[in-house]
Formats: sequence, structure tokens, C-alpha cells
Amino acid sequence: MYLTVTQTVAMDCYDVVRQLWDYLDGELTDESMDAIRAHLAQCKQCYPQFDFERTFLEALAATRREHPAPNMVRRKVLAKLRKAGLEV
Amino acid sequence: MTGTISSAEPDRVATRRFEVEALPWLDDVYRFALSMTRDESDADDVVQETFLRAYRSWHTFEPGSECRKWLFTICRNVFLRLRERERRRVDYGGDDAQLEALASAQESVGSIAEHADVLSRVDLGPALERAIGELPEVFRSAVVLVDVEGMAYNEAASVLGVPVGTIRSRLFRGRRLLQEALVIFGRDAGLTAQASCEV
Ligand SMILES: [Zn+2]
Repeated sequence: MYLTVTQTVAMDCYDVVRQLWDYLDGELTDESMDAIRAHLAQCKQCYPQFDFERTFLEALAATRREHPAPNMVRRKVLAKLRKAGLEV
Repeated sequence: MTGTISSAEPDRVATRRFEVEALPWLDDVYRFALSMTRDESDADDVVQETFLRAYRSWHTFEPGSECRKWLFTICRNVFLRLRERERRRVDYGGDDAQLEALASAQESVGSIAEHADVLSRVDLGPALERAIGELPEVFRSAVVLVDVEGMAYNEAASVLGVPVGTIRSRLFRGRRLLQEALVIFGRDAGLTAQASCEV
């Protein structure tokens, strides 16, 4: 597996930026995750882009809580299920 | 242990499991339904039908697997059927190939980050919610499942019934469209001018 290490060292800014979203989503191999993490820790060019994408994705995730099911919907669902045999 | 509710006499254990495992996802299913229908009354119908179908096919749910993913898959199918009924042809199918091509062509390295300072002044929450609502459906469902609901690519792929690579390209295109929408939002709010003064 030493070959992989040699490969990851060669990762340049283009490769890093191209895979930023995969990286932030944790969808890369362990080797690629490590290589990008290492690159970001020392690259002044890529870090702002990374920081921007992270902020953007955090803002997207934060839109999640704002739509609880209305009580009316909950009541209708329960009524339907009771009719179908659920004892709630 | 596998309980079945397909027989005439409902299995109490299965029923109880449905109550404990499926019902708590009601908010999530509603949110997902609303993200697809973008209409509260339609979302209401979709959610009711989803839980009814889920209850009736509860015996097919594998205990220990992800119940939310299972419910979302049902919800997605209910939504698609509703659409089909309304339009005979789902908008999802028509320019699908075109949108998919657009998505995979979108591999350019982002220059949007240049607008990072603009975006930092935009109230991102409401702007994003509006922008998500305006995304073409193929991109919206991928963004909602992965970015809002926090699913892994393979889970989202399973809910939408497409390959993981398709999720990835739809997701990336959807995100880029959202960022572009935010930049326009910031521009309309007069934030670009302020930002450029500081450069
Ligand atoms: Zn770099």
C-alpha cells in the first residue's frame, strides 16, 4: 500500500478543488480523504474555497428543521392507520 | 423476529413495532413530501398515502434496516404516482436526459467562492429555502436527500432508484445552481456593490 501514499502526495490544487464536495460529504476513500485533509492544512489557495463550501453545506443542512408536520396531517395519518387496524 | 400484519388478524407485535419505528419519522416524511410537491395539500395527501402503504407492507420491512430510507422510498413512489396521475407524464421523465447531460458536463472548478463575501452577508436560510424550491425536480430531490436530510450518496440513490454516480452529478449540479441563485440574490439585495468596494 506504499504506492498509494506516493500517489496521494502528488495531489495538486486542481484535484483537491475538484473533489471538495466529495471530501466534505465523506464519500472518498480513506487515502483520498487523508491526502485532501493534508493538502488543505497547508494550502492557502484551497483553504478559502474549502471554507466557503463547508459554510454553504452547513447552511443547506440548517434548513432542515423548519417544517414539522402540521398537527392536522398527523391526526389524519393516525386516523387512516387506525382505520387500517393500527391501535394508537 | 418477524411479525406480519398481512393476515386478517393484525399481529400486535408488528403493529407495536410500526408505531415505535415508523411513526416517529412522520416529520421527516412530511418534509420530504413537501420538498417534492411544494404544495402543503399535496404533501398532506402524499404523507397519508405513504404511511398507509407502509403500514400495509410493514411485513416487507427488514427489522434493523433504515426505516427512514424505507419510508422515503415509498414516499417517493407515492409522489411519482400522484404526478403521473396529474400529468400523465411526470415532468421528471421528459427532459431527464438533457438535465443529466447538463449535470455531468458541470465539472468546472468553482469560481463561485469569489462571491463568498457576498454570501456571508445574505441571510442564507430563507434565500436557500427559496432557491431549493426553484430547482428542477431532479436536482432538488438529490439536494434534499443528501444535503438537507443528511443521507449518504448510496442511500439517496436507493430512495430515488438511480445509480450513485447519477446522485453525485445531480447533487453537484444542484448545489452549483443554488450557489448561483444565492449570488443573484445577493446582487439583488445590493450586496455585490458593497463587496466590490472593499476589494
Ligand atoms: Zn491547494
